[in-house]
Amino acid sequence: MGKVLYIDYERCIGCKACVIGCEECSGHDHLSRMFVDELNPGETVATSPTPCMHCVTPACAESCPVQAISIAADGTVLSASLEKCIGCKNCTYACPFGIPKVDDQKKVMYKCDMCYDRTSKGRPPMCASVCPTDTIRFVDEDAMKNEPPKPVQFKWDFGGTIIETRTVIGLPDTETNQFGYREGEGV
Amino acid sequence: MGHAQNKEYSQRDYDPIERDGEELISTHCCFCGMQCGMNIRVKKEDKSVVGVEPRYDFPMNGGRLCPKGVAAYRQAEHQERILHPLIRKNGKLEKATWDEAMDLIVSKIQEIQGEHGKDAFGIYSGSSMTNEKCYLMGKFARIGLGTKNIDYNGRYCMSSASVGFNQSLGIDRGGTNPWSDIKFADVLLLAGSNTAECHPLSMPYIWGARDRGAKLIVVDPRQTKTALVADVHLDLRPGTDVALANGLLHVMIKEDLVDQDFIDNHTTGFEELKELVQSYNPKYVSEITGVAVEKIITAARIFGQAKNGFTMFARGVEQHATGTDAVSSYTNLCLVTGKIGRKGSGVATFTGQGNGQGGREHGQKTDQLPGFRKITDPKAREYVAGVWGVDESEIPGPGLSAFEMLQALGTEIKGLLLVCSNPIVSSPSVRDVGEYLKSLDFFVCMDMFLSESAELADVVLPSTVWVEDDGTTTNVEGRVLRLRGIDRTPGESKRDWKVICEIAERLGRGQYFQFNSPEEIFNELRVASKGGIADYSGISYEKLDKMQGVFWPCPSEESEGTPRLFEDLKFNFPDGKARILSFEYKGPNEKTSKEYPVILTTGRVVFHYLSGNQTRRIDSLRAFCPDPYVEIHPKLAEKYQVSNGETVKVTSPRGSIELVAKITKITREDMVFVPYHWGKTLAINHLTNPALEPKSKIPEFKVCAVKLEKVKQTVGEKHG
Repeated sequence: MGKVLYIDYERCIGCKACVIGCEECSGHDHLSRMFVDELNPGETVATSPTPCMHCVTPACAESCPVQAISIAADGTVLSASLEKCIGCKNCTYACPFGIPKVDDQKKVMYKCDMCYDRTSKGRPPMCASVCPTDTIRFVDEDAMKNEPPKPVQFKWDFGGTIIETRTVIGLPDTETNQFGYREGEGV
Repeated sequence: MGHAQNKEYSQRDYDPIERDGEELISTHCCFCGMQCGMNIRVKKEDKSVVGVEPRYDFPMNGGRLCPKGVAAYRQAEHQERILHPLIRKNGKLEKATWDEAMDLIVSKIQEIQGEHGKDAFGIYSGSSMTNEKCYLMGKFARIGLGTKNIDYNGRYCMSSASVGFNQSLGIDRGGTNPWSDIKFADVLLLAGSNTAECHPLSMPYIWGARDRGAKLIVVDPRQTKTALVADVHLDLRPGTDVALANGLLHVMIKEDLVDQDFIDNHTTGFEELKELVQSYNPKYVSEITGVAVEKIITAARIFGQAKNGFTMFARGVEQHATGTDAVSSYTNLCLVTGKIGRKGSGVATFTGQGNGQGGREHGQKTDQLPGFRKITDPKAREYVAGVWGVDESEIPGPGLSAFEMLQALGTEIKGLLLVCSNPIVSSPSVRDVGEYLKSLDFFVCMDMFLSESAELADVVLPSTVWVEDDGTTTNVEGRVLRLRGIDRTPGESKRDWKVICEIAERLGRGQYFQFNSPEEIFNELRVASKGGIADYSGISYEKLDKMQGVFWPCPSEESEGTPRLFEDLKFNFPDGKARILSFEYKGPNEKTSKEYPVILTTGRVVFHYLSGNQTRRIDSLRAFCPDPYVEIHPKLAEKYQVSNGETVKVTSPRGSIELVAKITKITREDMVFVPYHWGKTLAINHLTNPALEPKSKIPEFKVCAVKLEKVKQTVGEKHG
């Protein structure tokens, strides 16, 4: 197995360098595919980035009526093929993480392809390249899943359906530090 | 190579991607003092700037960039760039030729100086320029124009740190250590620095230390992202830093957490400090600062017990009427515990401007000559006069500091050259600054965008963006870096150093300004700095390329520079001892009152840089933070019955603005926070207090007293 994205929530500063950086990958047509969310607005400044989770069995690809979403040999779930995509948004509704976006004018879906243009040349994706705090890292999938440096999650329970993702999330250490994930932690 | 010590943390083993038909210009960001390395993608065909590519091998940031860094290149092809000179005709700025503009500038300089004396023409410059340009501005003022009145916007930024370090350590290099040392600390005390937003690329180093088990203490009135991940957050009332530092020192001394050997052998002044901080017990300090007693004790113990550690601070500590006292008081934390002069231990200030360090070293400060020399020092004057080939008497003495200079416009100063700065957004009490600028007989401005200040000028000269010029900057660590430019000057824009040399030529002073390239200017700067505190004499462009930057002082060809200061524990005073200076807490210049009951503090957001003249024009950055806002704690908001998103009028004795309320628990109940990157009706600096620190002359941006009023909006207004 190859390299995947690892996201360490507690390090995110909400700067959105990943969001703008995403536009800089040659294959991305200056359209960002990255999300950064405020986790607890008004309470704390905690934020987290979300790229495509790159499901092992991707619902987006399975739901696509024209098979526009393919999976690369290394397991990367690619963005829709421009020639095939009809902009029907099936993938948007099917994705449990809400990742695919649709350009309504061009009638085409676009999503994180882990910067296939870069990873296929052995370079990290733009988000992991620019992230100023090492929140987003480009790491070996096996090592991160089997011997993680801290508790991680890559299996998600959606109402009984377990979805395994290639993107790995590092869980915040809320035992020793709250990191702003609970109510009422303001000054 | 010389500085592979950063490798473990920042450098990454990847080459940048080179695309067909493009070339990569390896340079540094134009924004903050981190000076992150980056590659700019340029189309070979027409030299157009098309993107950014990470520079994975640069030691400081290893290709990482904040959003400003990623978007920086988007200025280059920006449609709002000024591409030809502008002259005010019938009240309007109109397109003109370079000859017309230069003729007018030169005749006005001669007219004003002839009538009112040499000092009646002033220069207000900036620290986002290369060392070469900063050096040239200082030289041009002194022996091109012959005026004593030159100062720069770093006065608002780095001047308190500079005075504080000089009085405590005898030398002002923002960081005593390379940033790679941070990860070897056992404790980090960050004061008045929202590191995560203002210097994001410091965060990997802080996380590096945390991964090794280091404790993090953050001193900030707001629970910023930096404070959120701290072990102890000292949420002090703005403007009470000196009391807090004294309180921490009180606990450390009382509990014998000081390094008596270090104090005895390498410092002076400890007994006075011990005496002074005796009354600063945690209860008293808690009353002043609003920080809980237990937190003060815990922080002092963590800091005192740690073997290695850093004290690092920024504008939150420095932009006060007692800013230099606070800098020295925080520096005391390291001096009494012997945390300095080795890996993992030191003191640093986070430099705000791109060349905030180099810009304050080579003579554009009104009291200073190149190499950090004092302009009042006869030996320094003689040496620099020799380098410049003039008589010592031709170099004027010290003139007015930045804000004092603005106050003197129209009276003492009749003509002004403004370069690389936007004082009508960045100064305190900006309504007055507008009046000062309008009272000038002649005002010429050089910029690449028509800033709020440039809009008031009589002549505007189009300069190039940073990636169109060569030069050097000196970053937060004291590391001198090489910036590479593209060989192009869009439209009729010109590089500002060339324009300055041309004005000198037309003024009949051309013999002192015969430069054909930034490297030639740098080579003269090296000689001018030789033997000074900031000695660059051993630094060449070639060495900078080879070593990916060189730390000053670098006093000889053989020297590889000085990454870490004070390794021999000799401080820059004749007796080699650091000065432990003790200061009583005086508090901010403007106290809250019945009429103005709330504290206002100002600061930055991650998406914008300084006055916003560049970042507000970049769509992607503006989209994330289009307008200023006022952060209000829910309890304070309740008092004024303000809900999230409603409009609030904030008023100080100097002015008022209307802002959208952002209700959040991250701020204290007795204060509000507003970011300062906007101009005109959106400028929070209408309200800020121009009280100057007596030694550094920095204005007190960080505290003033305000009142809040909810603005009632009618439905008609909303839809109108």
